[in-house]
Amino acid sequence: MWEFFIRSLDASTIFTIAALGELIGQRSGILNVGIEGVMLFGATLGFITAKTTGSYLLGFLVGIAVGGLIGLLHGFFSITLGGDQVVSGMGIWILGFGLTTYIGSPYTGPLGMERIPTILGLSPFFFVAIALTIIIWFILSKTSLGLRIRSVGESPEVAEVSGISVAKTRYLCVVGGGMLMGFAGAIFSLDYNPVWSYNFLLGRGFIALALVFFSMWNPFILLGGSILFGTLWQLSLNPQFIPGLMSRYKWRTVPFAITLGALLLMSTKWFRTKWGAATPEALGQPYVKD
Amino acid sequence: MRIGSRELKLERRESLSGWQATGISILAILVALAIFSIIFILAGINPLTAYAEIFSYAFANPFVLPLTMNRFIFILLCTYAFIIPFAAGLWNIGMAGQLYAGSLTVYAVLLALGVKEFQSTQLPTTLVILMMLIAAMLGGAFIGGIAGFLKGKYNVNEIVVTMMLNFMTFWVVSDFIKEGGIFMNPGGRGESFELPPSLQPPLIMGVPFTIFIAIGVALLLYFVLRRTKIGYEIRAYGENPTAAAYAGISNFSIPLLVFIMGGALAGLAGYHYFAAVPGVYKIARTYGYFGDLAFYGIICGLISRGNPLAAIPVAFLFGGLSIGGRLVQGKLGMSFGVDYALLGVLMITLVAFQFFYRYKFIWENSQGEP
Repeated sequence: MWEFFIRSLDASTIFTIAALGELIGQRSGILNVGIEGVMLFGATLGFITAKTTGSYLLGFLVGIAVGGLIGLLHGFFSITLGGDQVVSGMGIWILGFGLTTYIGSPYTGPLGMERIPTILGLSPFFFVAIALTIIIWFILSKTSLGLRIRSVGESPEVAEVSGISVAKTRYLCVVGGGMLMGFAGAIFSLDYNPVWSYNFLLGRGFIALALVFFSMWNPFILLGGSILFGTLWQLSLNPQFIPGLMSRYKWRTVPFAITLGALLLMSTKWFRTKWGAATPEALGQPYVKD
Repeated sequence: MRIGSRELKLERRESLSGWQATGISILAILVALAIFSIIFILAGINPLTAYAEIFSYAFANPFVLPLTMNRFIFILLCTYAFIIPFAAGLWNIGMAGQLYAGSLTVYAVLLALGVKEFQSTQLPTTLVILMMLIAAMLGGAFIGGIAGFLKGKYNVNEIVVTMMLNFMTFWVVSDFIKEGGIFMNPGGRGESFELPPSLQPPLIMGVPFTIFIAIGVALLLYFVLRRTKIGYEIRAYGENPTAAAYAGISNFSIPLLVFIMGGALAGLAGYHYFAAVPGVYKIARTYGYFGDLAFYGIICGLISRGNPLAAIPVAFLFGGLSIGGRLVQGKLGMSFGVDYALLGVLMITLVAFQFFYRYKFIWENSQGEP
């Protein structure tokens, strides 16, 4: 039972860190639906780096850096070029899906390194995720930087008038957010599941996106949601809990079915009025300075 | 940027003619192929050789041309599955799941008619093929409809939903065709039972009748989206759902409708590849590859800017590129996934080119100005 609980928290770590990256971007008004693509880049290039150099540290650094670069690319399309953010995000997802399939395929298989040591049985990244949640909550709600980020997400025109550079703030957020997504990808491929195969995130990036929508942009609700999702995924990956009920292929559909169920629940009027919603007003709209 | 007395400036386009859009789209494809050369260079291959191989193989080889045509039909149907919801401002990235579902319902019809057991059926071939087509559309429409329903009724993000449904239906197919699943091939090779020769549709130069469906749908869609009341309502919803609601356009039925229509066409793509294309005639073990191939429909839909007629040449090109990509991979000793990498590069280049649909460069004579 303890073992199961620990695995659930490990699974939730990936959701949490990736979704925090998305949350920062969305708070500044930039929607990135291509989290899955950014994570695939971080996971694949981090994996290749670690495998060829034998260094976990380098693997994580490459994963984070690549995530930041892809975030920069998304920023370029959606801030500088003022393009449709969904188109750009979808582009990043398909780029990540396509390119990492080609780049990673010679490295298909296990990482073959000694596993990263655990703390009380837990992956150390779980604690990193908790710390990041608190730090990001603090920055967003208690600092002047956070105020700046929220103001460019709510009403960029007003922010610009009061002397805040909308473009700079948004770039900061998408690059920082991309680094977190790349980091989450690297945690997946180096710690959680150190075996590379193509498209191996199985939609975790899309789930992280969904998590942000129903976290109401609050890092703590996001953390809670991640733990809930991590547990549900882990439960659905353990068919031995209820032996003989379904074939292993049917079990594989369960995490996705549960995601749909949870999405549905959290989209109902009942849930949204109960928890209150605070959408960044300018989310997804390109801002063009006159 | 200033060169001599002239200055290069960006200007927002007032309008975009069809020819201008076509020009930009062609340029986008050429630039993508140029960028993709890097992949060949990194693999130590002359890109010109590689492209010569790809194009001559895919478009000039009489034995391969039918393969290209069959991919073309498949990608074209997937493109429609994308552009109908896209006209309503919604993203269908669930073509994979919808076409898996369509292929499952096709084989369910065959199973119900006893084809698996007796390798034949008493019913006339035309009737059975018609039933298979309808089944394919219903299967795809059902999976698409789930996303449309959730979007319309509860405003659940359709991108996440269609992606989750892709993964779900992927495993459902495995459940049906592998390890004792009800469609499992008696030979037990992890694929479905085969379509008997009597139910294989006739071919015209190696291409099944689905080509007429694919082209016909282009004309029909062009007409429906531009000239009918429902097409107008779909576009109005796409512009602004709230305003559309004031005009009496249902925010429930439009998403549902576009996803049902899109899903049905993706379902036909499933029929096409698993029950009409020569050499397959079963749900192959590699069905996941065709799900991935369906993502070419997204790029094709974006490049053709939602115009079903413009999608025809683009889908033909992509059909050939994906076939040719597989060839160079084996022939030039590249690693797996050349066609996947091409998919990614095409997509991101296209995203960058979205800018030129809105802006243009102009040369301005700046002399004499302060």
